[in-house]
Amino acid sequence: MLASLSDVTKRYGRTDGLSNVSIDFPAGQVVGVLGLNGSGKSTLLKLLAGLLFPSAGKVTVFDGPPRENRAKLVYLGENDSLWTWMTPTDAEIFMKGLYDDFDVDRYRALLDSLAVPKRKTKAMSKGERGRLRLAMALARDAKLYLLDEPLAGIDLLSRERILQSIVREWHTDETILLSTHEVAEAEGLFERVLYLREGRLALDARAEELRNQGCSVVQTFREVLG
Amino acid sequence: MKGFRTLFWLEYRRSGAWAIALIGSLAFWAWGLFQVRRIELAEQLGIRGMLVAMAAVVGAVVLALMIGRLRGETRGGQYQVLLLSPPSGHVHIAARYTFALVTAILYYVMIGGLACWTLWMSAVPLDAGSITQLTLAIPLYVLGVTVLPLLAWTLLLMVFTSAYRVSGPGWVPGTVMILGTLFALRWLIEGIVRVSYTLPGWRLLEGVQAGVLQTTMEADLEPVATLPQEPLWIMLTLTLVLLVIASRIWREVEA
Repeated sequence: MLASLSDVTKRYGRTDGLSNVSIDFPAGQVVGVLGLNGSGKSTLLKLLAGLLFPSAGKVTVFDGPPRENRAKLVYLGENDSLWTWMTPTDAEIFMKGLYDDFDVDRYRALLDSLAVPKRKTKAMSKGERGRLRLAMALARDAKLYLLDEPLAGIDLLSRERILQSIVREWHTDETILLSTHEVAEAEGLFERVLYLREGRLALDARAEELRNQGCSVVQTFREVLG
Repeated sequence: MKGFRTLFWLEYRRSGAWAIALIGSLAFWAWGLFQVRRIELAEQLGIRGMLVAMAAVVGAVVLALMIGRLRGETRGGQYQVLLLSPPSGHVHIAARYTFALVTAILYYVMIGGLACWTLWMSAVPLDAGSITQLTLAIPLYVLGVTVLPLLAWTLLLMVFTSAYRVSGPGWVPGTVMILGTLFALRWLIEGIVRVSYTLPGWRLLEGVQAGVLQTTMEADLEPVATLPQEPLWIMLTLTLVLLVIASRIWREVEA
């Protein structure tokens, strides 16, 4: 198993961000993490990344604590997370200097295919910054990708480019967890879907099984979380 | 120490403007020192000495703000990127601290240079030994005893608050650190007072004082006390301990 959560609860003071959740993630899946605002999507991804520590239960990634295995996973947070002075070249220096699995050629190809302009991030639009961050993330050769709302607040064309890149760069031994509110657009990508409601796992389903039952991911979203 | 070079480069890009502004601010202090003229020489030296001391204090505050700023990067997500990068907490802390250290050395050595210039403007004769002491030995002593531990403490404060803020009430780590700072200062002062000074002191200002005496003809100047070694070694050890603790807490930071 690539990663797993076992009876995991995460509390923020008196509030439960995630409550008693158990999920396994084998290699080679594209998993949609869906839910309304505050349902625990970001908390789930942060726990797997090692940015948060569980209040109860156990999180395992590559057979160990996530923080100790952080070099083997990619986490793309919901925030901009780029310094305003950074250009794509600066980002390359930064990634190359810190990550052994960063592929410069792949990064440059991604910059081209995602049409990322060669200027400072402070002069980029939100979509352009999102595409740069995705290029930085996908240029790494990791086995687990945790993408937290990479489509949020981004224009339609940028969203299409981002989704196309994810499809193109995915290898069958890699697992991608993608949280998004753009359920309809990303639906075709998902092999498995997790529906979270108020910090609990409401449904863990295979997308194909849903379709066989005559339900789309979007319809199930409405039924389960509506 | 893999990744140190990249993190130091990042630190330079993040905080370079602060460092340049700080060092550039010495032009302002130099201008202020130059304005102190046309008064009696001893008084002139006193005012200039006070301005130099003020520059040193302002520098320490700016350096602490530079090394400890966190809020924007936490909100912006850059802190998450750093936490998840492969280098250990030791490397992150070392890179951040080293950049502040280099900036601090440059700044305080230049303040030493300003002190020399001030004395030269007042026609105080200085030999090569005194110039070296003013520009290197005394700034480095002041750095070691005050600024370096202050920066290490600020860094520890930053890491500590970010480690225990997310999952609990945010005011708790802040309050702990404010109270901790007060108690630490008290213990430090009590400890320094109790130290038995056995190592030979450094006679660093004798040449300067002789020059001042020769120029001002002030016979009632107190003889310069030697600078004790013990506070320097104690504070440098404390700095190292604080940095090691900060590096260890880095592993527990949530974002």
